[in-house]
Amino acid sequence: MSGPSFHRRSGGIVAALAALCLASPGEAEDDPPLPGRSVGMPERIEVILPGPELEAVPRDDRETPIVLRVVRVDPHGSRRRYELEFLGLEPGEYDLTDYLRRKDRSSTADLAPIPVSIRSVLPPGQVEPNAPSRRPTPRPWGYRALVLAVAILWLAGLAYLLFGGRRRRVSASPVAVRPRTLAERLRPLVEGASRGDLDPAGRAELERLLIGYWRRRAGLEGIDPARAVAILREHDEAGPVFRSLEDWLHRPPGPSQENIDIIELLKPYRDLPADTLEPVGSPDAAGKGA
Amino acid sequence: MTSADPNAAPAPDPRSSVPPGTAEFIRRIRERVGTVVVGQDVVVERTLVALFTGGHLLLQGVPGLAKTLLVSVLAKTIDLDFRRIQFTVDLLPSDIVGSEILDQRTNEFRTHRGPIFTNLLLADEINRAAPKVQSALLEAMQERKVTIGNDTYTLPAPFLVIATQNPVEQSGTFELPEAQLDRFMLCHRLQYPSKAEEKEVLRRNAALGIRREDKGAIARTEFDVLEKEPVGSVEDLVQAMEAVQLVHVSETFTDHVVEVVDRTRNHPDLELGCSPRAGIALIKGARARALIHGRNFVIPEDLFALAEDVILHRMRLNYEALADGRTGPEVLREILEPFGAASRNGRAPARVS
Repeated sequence: MSGPSFHRRSGGIVAALAALCLASPGEAEDDPPLPGRSVGMPERIEVILPGPELEAVPRDDRETPIVLRVVRVDPHGSRRRYELEFLGLEPGEYDLTDYLRRKDRSSTADLAPIPVSIRSVLPPGQVEPNAPSRRPTPRPWGYRALVLAVAILWLAGLAYLLFGGRRRRVSASPVAVRPRTLAERLRPLVEGASRGDLDPAGRAELERLLIGYWRRRAGLEGIDPARAVAILREHDEAGPVFRSLEDWLHRPPGPSQENIDIIELLKPYRDLPADTLEPVGSPDAAGKGA
Repeated sequence: MTSADPNAAPAPDPRSSVPPGTAEFIRRIRERVGTVVVGQDVVVERTLVALFTGGHLLLQGVPGLAKTLLVSVLAKTIDLDFRRIQFTVDLLPSDIVGSEILDQRTNEFRTHRGPIFTNLLLADEINRAAPKVQSALLEAMQERKVTIGNDTYTLPAPFLVIATQNPVEQSGTFELPEAQLDRFMLCHRLQYPSKAEEKEVLRRNAALGIRREDKGAIARTEFDVLEKEPVGSVEDLVQAMEAVQLVHVSETFTDHVVEVVDRTRNHPDLELGCSPRAGIALIKGARARALIHGRNFVIPEDLFALAEDVILHRMRLNYEALADGRTGPEVLREILEPFGAASRNGRAPARVS
């Protein structure tokens, strides 16, 4: 069996142990010191090995004492020249072939050992620190669950910011109470006006309601309010009502107001059917009195 | 049912008593303005409202809508002293109010009064000037006094500022803040003329011809055909202002105004509602409008007609309303709904309580 030949790369010292291998266990006594370094210091060597290409065995635990990396592979006749870098984590002597495997997963039994030595620079009898006796408090459901919970909270907050305010605005509007119908709002005002004890605010409300009523009835809701009122003043049916209202409510006190029969003027609006042009989203539906 | 236009030149109400001289004065002004400016009845009315009430007027409109021509013809019609200032970014307050100049012969300071000392001041493109210039003008508008050096001078009476703003080309302009906009009694947004009015504008312009000057000639403009002879004096104007004060304002109308102003303060879409100055402006404006329409009392139509010009520039939509694409006119329409009903998109009505 042909053995590997290897030499050091680091520090410029070539440690070719055997020219081109052919090393055997019996020749070990004449071998130079094994390549290696102190714990934690990387070292590079070159070896010529036969057979299919090799690769480092992935290190998937914390117990493996050697970290090995194949830096470069070059053809070398029927063999291959490997540049290996290794790093020892625990002092001792190791065989690097234990940490190599074939790319085609064929056996590496034909490989001669590649012994390396990892030294400890600490004096013997070094006291090792005790292993920590207390472990961190375990999270209730692990890290992923914690991240998930935070994400859910964040999304909930975002949803509240986006939609919560609007919902509150809608709920704050006076829609909980059934809007009073036009007839319900007009009746007490008309009765008050007929009795002659309607206050100025009530008169203003009465006029606004009548304007709104006639705007709806005459189909003038979509147009400019000023234009609508001007049209209503000339309207065949509504015109006399609004001109009389003007005389009653807005004209300076004088004889023209004495001729107005308020009771007769407002009679048609006293007993309007409950569903007249309704429903109306009354601004004071939440309970304001007329 | 007959159609009625609230902005058309009004026929006097036979049941009302407006001083005949004032009614005739108003009719002559409208007639004279109509010889030069086609259409724009509304803006003529608003200008008269401002003139009769001593309020100031802000006109918003794209260039070419005869804003300057209208103010010029109005000044000549009533024999008012008229000045125009084109606002630019490098204008200084002293360019408007005046300054003290050292007289080299006497070695004493002499006061040079600026163009603000006039009856009718056209502040063209007011938003182009720096804020300190705007402040100087608006302070003068409010107090009707200016201070030059150590002396305070009272501005002439009547004193009316008509400012213009171009709603486009906002680059390089300084938007008037709400507090300063509030100084303007009315803010009217000019519209393009109708097709028929535009046709008449073109017809009149085509008939202007050219004017010989020196050895050459130049094309005549509408300014060249302004009648120089006024149709009314300052005394007529004072009488009209007195007549406005006699227009009756019922308690019911005052209640309507209070209601509308209050709605602007409680509307869910508004961040800033109207100040009490808006209510005052509504009453004053309604009185003047009633007089112009031949009435000696105000009616809800006056309120509705002036609401946009008085209220819209005094209110500000909140962030949510802007994000929902709401507009000021839309909200105002909602406020003016006699029922305060829900708007078209089903939003809650303004709460009035």
